[in-house]
Amino acid sequence: MKCEWVKENLLLYVYNELPDDARYELEQHLARCGDCTAELKSARKFNALLSELPVEEPSPNLVASSRMRLQEALETTKQGGLWQRVVFDPAVWLRQIRFAPALAAAIFIVGFAGGIGATYKLVGNGAVNSIASGITSKPAESSVMGIQSISQDPGSNQVTIKYNTVSTQEAQGSLNDQRIQQLLLFAARNNYNSGVRMDSVDLLTQQPNDLHVREALIGALRYDSNPGVRLKSLDGLGPYVKSDPRVRDAVLEALMNDANPGVRTEALHLLEPVRADSSVRAVLQRLSESDQNTYIKAQARILLSQLPEFD
Amino acid sequence: MPADACTVPFAVGGCSIRERDQGQETSGTGDPTLRGLMAERSLGRIDDTLLVREAQRGNRAAFEELVRHYDQAVLRLAMHLTGSEHEAQDIYQEAFLKAYKSVGNFRFECSFYTWIYRIVTNLCLDHLRKKQVRKEEAPVATDQSGEQYDVLEQVADGRAGANPERDLMRRELGGRIGRALEKLTPRERMVFELRHYHGLKLRTVGEVLNTTEETAKNTLFRATQKLRGSLADMR
Repeated sequence: MKCEWVKENLLLYVYNELPDDARYELEQHLARCGDCTAELKSARKFNALLSELPVEEPSPNLVASSRMRLQEALETTKQGGLWQRVVFDPAVWLRQIRFAPALAAAIFIVGFAGGIGATYKLVGNGAVNSIASGITSKPAESSVMGIQSISQDPGSNQVTIKYNTVSTQEAQGSLNDQRIQQLLLFAARNNYNSGVRMDSVDLLTQQPNDLHVREALIGALRYDSNPGVRLKSLDGLGPYVKSDPRVRDAVLEALMNDANPGVRTEALHLLEPVRADSSVRAVLQRLSESDQNTYIKAQARILLSQLPEFD
Repeated sequence: MPADACTVPFAVGGCSIRERDQGQETSGTGDPTLRGLMAERSLGRIDDTLLVREAQRGNRAAFEELVRHYDQAVLRLAMHLTGSEHEAQDIYQEAFLKAYKSVGNFRFECSFYTWIYRIVTNLCLDHLRKKQVRKEEAPVATDQSGEQYDVLEQVADGRAGANPERDLMRRELGGRIGRALEKLTPRERMVFELRHYHGLKLRTVGEVLNTTEETAKNTLFRATQKLRGSLADMR
């Protein structure tokens, strides 16, 4: 067993590749084992035999000519530039990431945290501004991106409006405040959130005397996509059907064309006081004859029958 | 593989690899000459690091200095493997051009010495594989002028002196050994060359050939066994 181990390791011993303890053990064995000593002798002899094929040193001429040839080639060879290597060799990138996972993770985390930090800073400092009434200047309409929310303090005419400029701001003030009205009008016209449009129209109906407000309500009735908002603006416009022909026209238009039967019915009711008006009468006549909605048709007939006969 | 594992102490200039590894083996002694040699080696390593960094910045002179540190060892290995000055010069040229182009990718994960040897041995292995396919018979090669000559005739013999009989015997012997070496697989040949003729430690051989010390050891065993078989009648 021991001899077998020695024979296996003799080559490493000859090449001086055995660790110290194994080497010591082997030498101890060789000292008392004739067979293994003979084997070592044979191995050394064979080693020496192989060394009969010597390793030649290259001649100075060969070295010199090789160097010259290389220098010439280097003149015209371009080194792979750092930029080129980093940008165009994805394998290098991958290898870098593989060998430096901690660095890659750190860069990722720093980038992520930086992004979040910047967002918080923006939101915290500038996104929502509370502006006390009277202190702020009138918001330029062009700077208002949208109205976020509108609320009225119960039992007062104080209104709070949150609106977005480039960042979100907040304005507080009385309904009579021109700035508030301007925001409400803006909300009624432009906001993408129908709930906010509803709130603004609702508040505007408290101030329908203002021509701008009435204009906004007419616009809402004509163009708002939300039937609730159109109903609200109808409510606000109701008192002016008699006195303002533009309001009457808008309500008539709603009665004729609105897609929502509820809005049309409400418009019909609003027009009751002015049913004698020729334009209203013409519309009622048409509805009673050919309207698809049977309720509207019937109501139109009823209203027409209530009209005094002129002829 | 830890970076240290493949850092092999070496001296600059014409010091052979055999000398380097022998120095490493006896580094435990308190011999002042050896200590000086060690210091020179670490200086060489520092030199190399600086030179490599300079070469990576595109400094061609620094690269040429690196070439001068290693080119004789490269030529020696290539000549012994190919048996031809001309082919050795081609390998030399290709190896250093490759090194020049990709020195920017060198990341100091091993010594520059190991890295350049890796390039050279890969080229030599390709050469041996092609040669094996061609199944060239006699160890005939061509010199720089294109003339054919017997590699074994080139074997210098300082010991034989003016004894032509002994000279002839040595040539014959060299021829037999050369043919026996050619029967090895390219990888076995490479491991045997690096360990036996160029004195690299098996650990370094493993690193150069991108394998483990254990695999290099086993390959050396196989190569020796085969050579013993081929040269049985000469023992």
